Amino acid sequence: MSNELSLKDQLRLNDQKFAETGCVFGLETLPEKERDPGTYESVWHTLLGICNAAWSVGCKVSSSPVAVEGGDALWALHTPTGECICTSRGITAHVGLLASMVRHFIELDYETLPGFKPGDIFENNDPHFGGIHCPDFDTAMPLFYEDKLVAWVSAVTHANDAGSVLPGSISFMNPDCFSDGVPVTMEKIGENDKLYPWYEMRMKSRTRTPEWVMGDTRGRLAGCLTVRDRLQETIAKYGLDFFLKASREYIEDSRRYAVSRIKTQTVPGRIRKSQFKDLAMKGGNVVMPKQDVDILMNLPMEMTIDENAAVSFSLAGASGTVPFGENITPTALASGLLMGYSHVVGFDMFNSGATYAMKLQEPPGGTWCNPFPVDYFAACGLGWAPTVMWLTSLYEVTGRLYHMRGFVEEMSAGAATTMAAEWSGENQYGNYTVGLTLEQASNGSPARGIGDGEPAAWCIFTANADFGNAEITELYYPIMYLGRNMQPDSGGYGKFRGGMGHTTIWMVKNTDGGINYTAACSGIRSKITGNHGMYGAYPTMPDRISYAHNTNIKALIDDQKPLIHERGDPEYGDLEQNIKAEILEANVVVPVVVEHTLQDYDIVINPISGSQAMGDPVERDPEMVRQDLDTGLTRNWVAEGINGVIAHKDNNNEWTVDDAATSDRRQAILDARKARGVPFKEWWLQESKKVLAKEDMHEAVTDMWRSSMSLSPHYAAELRSFWNLPDDFEF
Amino acid sequence: MADYDIYELEEIRKLVDGELPWTTVQQMMKNAKDTDRFDKWITILQERVPWDEYILLPLTPALYIVQKDSDRIVKCRCGHEFGDYRVNWKLSALIYVRDDQEKLSEVYKGLEQPDLKWMQLREYYCPGCGSQLEVEALPRGAPPDFEFLPDLDTFYGKWLQRPLPQTVEFKDMTAEVIRSWCS
Ligand SMILES: [Zn+2]
Repeated sequence: MSNELSLKDQLRLNDQKFAETGCVFGLETLPEKERDPGTYESVWHTLLGICNAAWSVGCKVSSSPVAVEGGDALWALHTPTGECICTSRGITAHVGLLASMVRHFIELDYETLPGFKPGDIFENNDPHFGGIHCPDFDTAMPLFYEDKLVAWVSAVTHANDAGSVLPGSISFMNPDCFSDGVPVTMEKIGENDKLYPWYEMRMKSRTRTPEWVMGDTRGRLAGCLTVRDRLQETIAKYGLDFFLKASREYIEDSRRYAVSRIKTQTVPGRIRKSQFKDLAMKGGNVVMPKQDVDILMNLPMEMTIDENAAVSFSLAGASGTVPFGENITPTALASGLLMGYSHVVGFDMFNSGATYAMKLQEPPGGTWCNPFPVDYFAACGLGWAPTVMWLTSLYEVTGRLYHMRGFVEEMSAGAATTMAAEWSGENQYGNYTVGLTLEQASNGSPARGIGDGEPAAWCIFTANADFGNAEITELYYPIMYLGRNMQPDSGGYGKFRGGMGHTTIWMVKNTDGGINYTAACSGIRSKITGNHGMYGAYPTMPDRISYAHNTNIKALIDDQKPLIHERGDPEYGDLEQNIKAEILEANVVVPVVVEHTLQDYDIVINPISGSQAMGDPVERDPEMVRQDLDTGLTRNWVAEGINGVIAHKDNNNEWTVDDAATSDRRQAILDARKARGVPFKEWWLQESKKVLAKEDMHEAVTDMWRSSMSLSPHYAAELRSFWNLPDDFEF
Repeated sequence: MADYDIYELEEIRKLVDGELPWTTVQQMMKNAKDTDRFDKWITILQERVPWDEYILLPLTPALYIVQKDSDRIVKCRCGHEFGDYRVNWKLSALIYVRDDQEKLSEVYKGLEQPDLKWMQLREYYCPGCGSQLEVEALPRGAPPDFEFLPDLDTFYGKWLQRPLPQTVEFKDMTAEVIRSWCS
C-alpha cells in the first residue's frame, strides 16, 4: 500500500491486481490471518459489533416507523477505495450500492473537488448515478486516523416518502424519472459532522413527511459517527497497519469462501429458471395515459458455473422497460444479487468479497434491468419489485444444486411475492401522514430440503425479517388491527410446504379527513401465481386484497355482532358474509391505489404471501397434513384433493387420518395423472400451432414476447426453434 | 481434509430423511462441510432405487442421471427412462395443462385463482409411476424450463478428480429432438 497513490490510482491498481491474480487486491495469501488467526477473527467480530451498534443507535435516533419499528436500515464499513469490509444487520440488499457509491465518488475525482476531509458527509439516491430509488438515501463519510483516510462508513435508510408523484415510498406508480422524487445526486450534503441548511430546506419543500425524512438523515449520521468513534478505539488498540491489511483480507477471504462453496457444494453446468411478473393496470387508477396498460414482465435467470467455479448470471430474454416504477439499473440489480448470494452461497463473512466470485452479464439495454441506454426517462420508483422476484429463482436454482451434491440441509425453494401496504391522509392526531406498515417484511420462508418453511418469519429483501408490533403501528396510522392471521395454504402445496404468509384485517379508526390505502408493488403477482412450484409442488396463490367502504361495522359493534378477523372462504369470504357496505370489493387485483378515501369503520384485508413448496404433494407425510388440519393451516379439500390424505374430524375438532383410505386415494391420484397426462410431443404438436396462431394469448403476453425477442435475438431464435416458428415470426 | 468427514453414513441418512433433531441439523449447517458427502449421498440413493445402473447425478428427488451401458440417461426412481440427459427430460414426460376453470378449480378456488388468460399451469408426470415431477406456471409461448444441463465431465474429471470412462460433448440437445418432430 503506497501513501503516494491517489485513491483513483489505488482503485486502478486494485482492478489490475485482481485481473492478474483472480484475488481481490492481488492477495494470493492472507498473511494476517495466517500469522494470528485469533486476532484476525476477534477484530472481525469487533467490526461487526461496531456496525451493529451503529444500527441500534441510528434506528433509535431516527423517528420514522420504517427505521424504528422495522429496522429497515444498514450501516457498513468500507476500505478507502470503497470495497465493503463488513456491515450491520438490516437491509443487506444495499451493500453493493454503498460500495459502488464510494467508488463512484473516487472515479468522479471528488478527491480533488470537493476533496475528502474529516467530518464530510456525502449522499446519493439518484438511480441515474448509482442509486436504487429515491426513498433509499445512501450516505457515506470518509474516516481518518491521524490525518490519513483509512476507511469509509456508509448508511442507508428507507424513507417513508421521498416526494414521488404519489405519496409513499413503494413508488410503483411513477410514470418516469421526473416523478421519482427528490434527487440527491452524488452530493456533499454537510461538513464538520453537520448537515448543510439547504439540504434540510429541500427535504422540507419536496417530501411529504420532512420530520421523518430528516429524522432518518440524522439517524444515518448518528450511526456513522458511532462507527467513527469506535473505529478510532479499535485502530488504536490493534494498530493502523494491522487494520488496513486485515480489512482487505476479510474481503478476499469472503471471495474465497464463496468460490469454495460453489466448488464443493454445486455442480458445473447451465441452470435456467423462468420467472414472470404481471402488472394489470388497464382501466385502473393511474397517473398518465401511457399507464393504462396490462403488462407481463419476463424475468429469466440463466446461471452458468464453469470449471473454475466462476459463476455468471444472464438476463437474456428480459422484457423491456415499463411506464411504471419497476425498472432497475444493473448497478442496483448487482447489489440485490450480492444480497441473494449472501443468503444462499457465501454468508461466512458478508462483505464485497462475493462480488468478485460472480459476474452479472450486462442485461440488454432497454430492458427493465438496464433501462437508461434506451429510455433515459425511465422511472425506478420501485426497482426492487422485479428484482426480488428475479432473485427468488436464485434460491431455487441453488437449492437444486445443493440437492445434487447431497447438502439437503442447505436447500430452499423459491420465494413468492412481496406486497406493501401504504397509508396516506389524516392521522388520528389531525396531521397529514404517509407511510408503510411493515407487514411485507415478514413472509413465510421457503420449503427446505428436509422440512416445511417457517411461518411469517422471513423476507427476501432483508435478513432482518420483522413485521413490527401491531400496537405500535396503530400509533402511527389511524387504523386498528382486527386480525393478523396465518393464511391457510399460503405456502403452496407440496411434500414440504412453504411457511405461511399472514393476512391482516384493518379497520380505519379516528381519521376526520379520511385516509388512502395503496396495495403497492414491491414484487406483487396478482394475475399469475406467485412463482413456479419446485419438484412437482404447486405454486403459491396470487396476491389479492379486499376492502369495504361505508360499512355497517359501527352498528355491528354496538349490537355485539360478529365482525371480521380473517379472510375466510376464498369463494365467499368473511367480509361478504359478515359485513354490509356501500362499496365492497372482495377480490381486487393488485397493485392498486384504492380510489375511495377510506373513513372510520372501513375495512382493508391485506395478505402477505408465504413462500414456495417443494416436492410432489401426494408424498407429504399424512401426519404433517393432520397437524395442519388441526391448526387450521390447511383445508380439508386440499388435504383430500391435493395431498391425497383422507382424515375425519371428531367432536373435539381434532383430526384423525384414515391410513387405508389415504393409500387408496393416493394411488387413485397417481393413476388419474397417468390417465389424463398426454405425451409431451402430442401436446407440443397442438400447442405449437396455437402459439403460431397466438390463440388465446392475452395482449400482455404477446407484448412481452415481442419485447423480449426484439431485445435478445439469441433468446428469440431459441424460442422460435422450440415451437418450430418461421425465422421471421414475431408475436 | 479428513477432519471434516465427521458424519457416519447413518447420520447422513437420518439427515436426508428429516430424522435428526433440528439443533443437530443447525450444527451441521454451521460446521465446515464434509467433503465426502456426495459419495455418501450416492450410496444412500443407490440403495433406494430398484435398479442397478450407476447414479451419476441426482437431478431431482425423483429423477437421476445414470450410466446405462455407454449412455448417460435420465431415469426415474421407478425405472422409467427419459433418454439422453442433454435433452430436457420434460420432452419425454406426460404433460397436463390446467387451461380451463374446471381444471383450475381443483387446485385454486375463488380469489386464490390465477387468471388463465395470463398463464398456463403445466404439470409434468412420470409415465411410469405418475409422480408429479414439476409444475410450471408460464404464459403461452414459454418453452418448458430446462432446469439443469450439468457439465458432467468437468464435474467428475476436474472437480471430483475421477474422470468418467468416456467423455460426451457438453451441449443442449433439446433443439435436435424438436427438429426431428418437425419433419
Ligand atoms: Zn417414475
